[in-house]
Amino acid sequence: MIRHLIGLLVLLVAGLVYPWIFPSALTVGVTILLFAGWATAWDILGGWAGQVSLGHASFVGIGAYFVAIGATEYALAPWWSILMAIAVAALLSLAWGRLTFKLHGPYFTLSTIAIAEILRLIAINEDWLTGGATGVFIDWMPTPFGIDLFAREAQYYLALVFAVGVMATIIWISRSRFGYQLRAVREDENSAMAAGIDPTRTKLKAFMLSASLTAVGGGIYGMMLSFLEPHILFYLLLSVQIALTGIIGGRGTIWGPLVGAVLLVSAGEIFRTSFAEANLLIYGILILLVILFLPSGIIGEFNRRLTRRLYARRAQG
Amino acid sequence: MPDALKAEGITVRFGGVVAVDNVSLSLQPKGILGLIGPNGAGKTTLFNAVTGFVPMDSGKVRFFDRDVSSEPPYKRAQAGMGRTFQTERPFEELTVLENVLVSAFLKEPRRKDAEKLAMEMLKRVELDDRYDQPAGDLNLARRRRLELAKALAIQPRVLFLDEVMAGLNPPALREMIGLVRRLSQEGLAILMVEHIMEAIIELSDHVIVLASGQKIAEGTPQEVTSNTQVIEAYLGTE
Ligand SMILES: Nc1ncnc2c1ncn2[C@@H]1O[C@H](COP(=O)(O)OP(=O)(O)OP(=O)(O)O)[C@@H](O)[C@H]1O
Ligand SMILES: [Mg+2]
Repeated sequence: MIRHLIGLLVLLVAGLVYPWIFPSALTVGVTILLFAGWATAWDILGGWAGQVSLGHASFVGIGAYFVAIGATEYALAPWWSILMAIAVAALLSLAWGRLTFKLHGPYFTLSTIAIAEILRLIAINEDWLTGGATGVFIDWMPTPFGIDLFAREAQYYLALVFAVGVMATIIWISRSRFGYQLRAVREDENSAMAAGIDPTRTKLKAFMLSASLTAVGGGIYGMMLSFLEPHILFYLLLSVQIALTGIIGGRGTIWGPLVGAVLLVSAGEIFRTSFAEANLLIYGILILLVILFLPSGIIGEFNRRLTRRLYARRAQG
Repeated sequence: MPDALKAEGITVRFGGVVAVDNVSLSLQPKGILGLIGPNGAGKTTLFNAVTGFVPMDSGKVRFFDRDVSSEPPYKRAQAGMGRTFQTERPFEELTVLENVLVSAFLKEPRRKDAEKLAMEMLKRVELDDRYDQPAGDLNLARRRRLELAKALAIQPRVLFLDEVMAGLNPPALREMIGLVRRLSQEGLAILMVEHIMEAIIELSDHVIVLASGQKIAEGTPQEVTSNTQVIEAYLGTE
């Protein structure tokens, strides 16, 4: 626990000095922080509760569109629209989970793809609501305390607060009763029930929390893009990237999603600039390597070994 | 005082197979009820029906003064039914302590209290020296004891044990018998499915014999073991 809190503090400090060291790489910084936050939020459901979603772009999209439409149509400040997006994401995931958590195996995952796709079609076709396929352009933002929310720097600090906030949440959960209910449901639903745990209810809570937190990051992403297109925001690729970030770093771990985000985003950057077209290929190879050699993810594998080593050392000494 | 457990007319079918056929049983508070019968007799199925893990086709289950017939298994656990699984199911990725912690959190929502309770239960089954070992690395005898610690950590009113003695070597068996007896003396009611007759005869005050899903005999261990029908049922399958 203490170790994790120190880690979080280190992350916060590193996050605060980053803009001074890499002033020209702020966009990369925002992207890493957003993916770290999203993948951590995704992991509450995908890793801790064991329900892999390939539809989390839905919640990114909901967050971003609420901020954009709130600002352009209703002159609504982003904090209010993000609150609304949280409520909508929570309600959507509640309804979605109630319908689909009875499905086992890959069917939940398949359903998540379908629902994100439905939202994408709505965003494309309901012009009156979303600006349709041409998208929405955010032309106004409030200036709280004189802060320009269009400035990359302001967005960077918002993303930092988001990432650190989500990670603090998972650190707290990992120690709590809820965290153990999640692990139990993931490992074996029958054993979980024997311990008095309601698996469906536990998964629903995980889904709602995961979706709401993802929507918060989506709101910040909306400000960063300032021009929203349904092809990007509800796109399967974004859902897959979020999931892979969590999986590569290590599902059900505290630091895995952050490690995954740093790795995947910076690899994406490096290869995009130096290899251009080979970018996706190299991305794919990286993923394959981790899945082949570190099936529990980078941090996941590290934790497994650490647990065994610590036990062996204590048992001998 | 009502019965700790009263099951009436339990029937469970799997497709065409009647795994449990109109069986009734009752368990006194503080009693130990033994459930025996040849392989495939329906013992585990009956046990699962009573604890809610298998749906009944007909029958009623009363737990103290409450009708739990239509309640899901986790509600029955919350009400105080603590069970083990015949094929042990530890949470393999979690440590021994964390396994028990999951159960301990049911009655102790705060981490500190839950951890203390879980550690006490590990001491009871003598696994406390392995609290930080991944549960997937335990051998069979220790997995059995972990199952028991998990069931105990929900602080149950009735304990359901499905063959916790199977496969134990003689000293481990003696230990387990001693432990079950102590738990009973402390006031727990116990329903025990077991093949090991030594354990059944020593521990239970009442025994039910199942064969092909039906109750073919019941009584004290002595009555049951001298019953010719029971002897035939066992010999017939071996
Ligand atoms: N889930 C299931 N689906 C179909 N048939 C089942 C199922 N579970 C048990 N059975 C069948 O029901 C019958 C009773 O099985 P059960 O496991 O209850 O026996 P048991 O008395 O516990 O045996 P053992 O001593 O081997 O543990 C068997 O014929 C078994 O094949
Ligand atoms: Mg059985």
